[in-house]
Amino acid sequence: MFLNVPQDEKRRKKWFQAVLRDNPKTKSNFFCCEDHFDFECSGRRKNPEEEGVAAPTEEGEASETVQERSGRCVRKPSLAEEYKQAYPEFLPDPNPKWRNSLREKLERMDMLKRRNQIDIPEFYVGSILAVTISDPHAQGKTNRFVGICIERKGCGLRAEFTLRNVVDHHGVEVRYELYDPTIQQIQVLRLEKRLDNKLFYLRDALPEYSTFPFDMEPEILPEGAPIPVNPIKVQLKKRPWLERWERQELQGVYKISKMINKKQKKNRILRREPWVKYDLMKEYRLTAGVIGWPAARRARAQYLYVKCSKAHERETEFKFVTCPNTLGSVGHAVRRAVA
Amino acid sequence: MTSTSPLANVQINFNAEWNPRTRRVGVIARKIGNYPIWLKNGKKVQTTLLQVIDNHVIKYIPPEEFKPMLIRKPNWREKRTLGCLLVGAETIDPSTVTKDYCGLFNATGMLPKRYLCRFMITPNAALPPGTPLLATHYRVGDYLDIRAKTIDRGFQGVMKRWGFKGMPASHGVTKTHRRPGNIGSGGGKARVWPGTKMPGHMGNSTKAGSKIEIAGSEIEWKFATRIEIENENKMKKIKCVIKIRISEGKKMQTDTSTRVWRTLRGVKILRIDTKHNVLWTLGVAIPGETGAMCYLFDTVLPLRRHKEPPPFPTHPPSADLPIEYIHESVHDFSDPTITFEDN
Amino acid sequence: MFKTILHKIHPVSQTARTIHTTSCLNEVRLLCRLRVVDNSEIGKQAMAEGKPPRIICVYNKQRVGYIGDRVLVAIKGQKKKGILVGLKQTQNTKVPKFDSNNVALIDDSGAPLGTRIHAPIPTILRTILKERTHTKGADYTKLLSIATKFV
Repeated sequence: MFLNVPQDEKRRKKWFQAVLRDNPKTKSNFFCCEDHFDFECSGRRKNPEEEGVAAPTEEGEASETVQERSGRCVRKPSLAEEYKQAYPEFLPDPNPKWRNSLREKLERMDMLKRRNQIDIPEFYVGSILAVTISDPHAQGKTNRFVGICIERKGCGLRAEFTLRNVVDHHGVEVRYELYDPTIQQIQVLRLEKRLDNKLFYLRDALPEYSTFPFDMEPEILPEGAPIPVNPIKVQLKKRPWLERWERQELQGVYKISKMINKKQKKNRILRREPWVKYDLMKEYRLTAGVIGWPAARRARAQYLYVKCSKAHERETEFKFVTCPNTLGSVGHAVRRAVA
Repeated sequence: MTSTSPLANVQINFNAEWNPRTRRVGVIARKIGNYPIWLKNGKKVQTTLLQVIDNHVIKYIPPEEFKPMLIRKPNWREKRTLGCLLVGAETIDPSTVTKDYCGLFNATGMLPKRYLCRFMITPNAALPPGTPLLATHYRVGDYLDIRAKTIDRGFQGVMKRWGFKGMPASHGVTKTHRRPGNIGSGGGKARVWPGTKMPGHMGNSTKAGSKIEIAGSEIEWKFATRIEIENENKMKKIKCVIKIRISEGKKMQTDTSTRVWRTLRGVKILRIDTKHNVLWTLGVAIPGETGAMCYLFDTVLPLRRHKEPPPFPTHPPSADLPIEYIHESVHDFSDPTITFEDN
Repeated sequence: MFKTILHKIHPVSQTARTIHTTSCLNEVRLLCRLRVVDNSEIGKQAMAEGKPPRIICVYNKQRVGYIGDRVLVAIKGQKKKGILVGLKQTQNTKVPKFDSNNVALIDDSGAPLGTRIHAPIPTILRTILKERTHTKGADYTKLLSIATKFV
């Protein structure tokens, strides 16, 4: 629910002051997000109308979010957003059928109990970790492995991560459970991110990209520094590959289009948007002169269509959905025409 | 108000003697999910969490008065020896149910419950109406029989429903890769024989009079498909169709794989939370999806039955219990990291 | 292909995995090629010639080789026995997965043909091979003593 910001200039000024925003010059309608309102609270931290104008009882506290009519929500990046990235296993299960608030609560309590015992650090896919476990099979009953994190998955106590390294010219991967009580220590040797969410392509990359010495020294980031993103582009081995990497739109692979042949290039473009060939309305949406369209919009649609078809002819990587605004209004117009 | 609640003075007879032939009351629980826990030897096990929700004894019917509806000719020696304890779970708003249904709870002065279950007990395990049943009714290391409705899988073919093999993918086979094939011979038997395994609805059927399991040893549940309770005011029989569907005494069949209700026997309890009334049970084979209702009984398996007296007739409600009971083989998450000794 | 499409629809979320698409199992089966990782003469020659050994029998009931299983391989026109010391297929947690299927050659008594293994060996092999060693049968634990590195 959004609350209408009052039109009256004085009151409006106070509202914007309360939400720490500049008063815009325009007289258009503005909306306030209801989320941060606290109607029952007697505290009233930032009541814009406490002094002076008689405050209507319902509009107690202005929110931190000012919503424009266009639907754009201006939000500061919150702490919760950061934690979502750093501790993804605390998020609820992706499958809503498996959710239960009590179970999640008990599970999180167990996770926190485990976190009181050992330090489970913040790390990302692409970070280099050293994991020490108690191993009943090993000689000293402990086992240490160093490698780059190529995958994180699972939520709650099921959370897992995979480390990869090349030992004696043999690629080795080990999967660990984050909350396994046999893990003695998880040490982050280098805290960084990569350009992709999963680094399985390292299996097909040259071995030097996933070789890390076991006696690596931990690199310490300065306090409060943002997590660096490693922009390294990985050189893949020659085909055959384990997967069709060219279809996965990977950012961290060096010039993948030079390693594939003509047919694969063609298929790659076809598979990018496979639903397009079943889109019966595409041609109509892009070319039809709907009655009531302004000339400028029609021209824009025409231009887009031409550009798009040319792009397909050239088989470049051009994406035809470039202008969401235009398409949105086109869709609206079509709906209107149908009605 | 001068009148006191009938629940205030519930007197439980703790002097009753437990013997190996005694049957205790069970509880109604909700399956709230699964998650792994680790054993002290470092092994990971999957557990299912069962929450005992707001269980109260509603009524006790002694063996002499207990006359359940007969579905078929009783082949039941201990017919007159077992009484029945009606247990309800999850209080609901009385305005949402019928007056007749509310009438069941008037005698005990309780609000109506959403789920009801009859537990067959020996008379010495009887409990007065209004007794709360908690997760501490069980102890860690005990074994349970858990009965619940299976996951609804909808209309399924024979391969999924009955485990048929199907037919080859190639070698001239056309359009019959997942079909049942022949269902009978001609002559005098030129018809579909009753009980032929065919495609159909699999699991958690909502149809009345559908196939319902009657296992020979499951005396408690022989009549579970229909609950009749005598209303004290009108002496009129009421059919409660709250969660347990009525089966109108039609011909019953014993199925093994597509049955609606399934009982998993001998499930071990690894951990108990007394604050939230949650049981951690070993394994993930408890029927039903997350949020399904389960009925918990003491196990009937001869090697896993109670050797020593359990909390009898039930555990007394008390305030000073430890928050958690954990089985000795299970690693507590607040314990330090597991290490292995060199032999 | 489905995974790619789903990835496009929901680039970040995991909920997009509604369609199950299987990946390659990488099982060690009959006629599967292996990589000899010890320094036995016959193994080195076979690998150098580009004719790695093939499995012609897996000595277990499943007929799919798992870690520590004994296999019979055809190598340079001969039949030799070997032990699987590293697998490509997905392993349990804390058990390493390798980029190739590794084998170390042994003779009938369980003694290794080579004197060194030039690959990391999973520590779980210690327990597995000890369990399979019988007092009067083959002794596989000699294989552990020629390993250079455990992971």
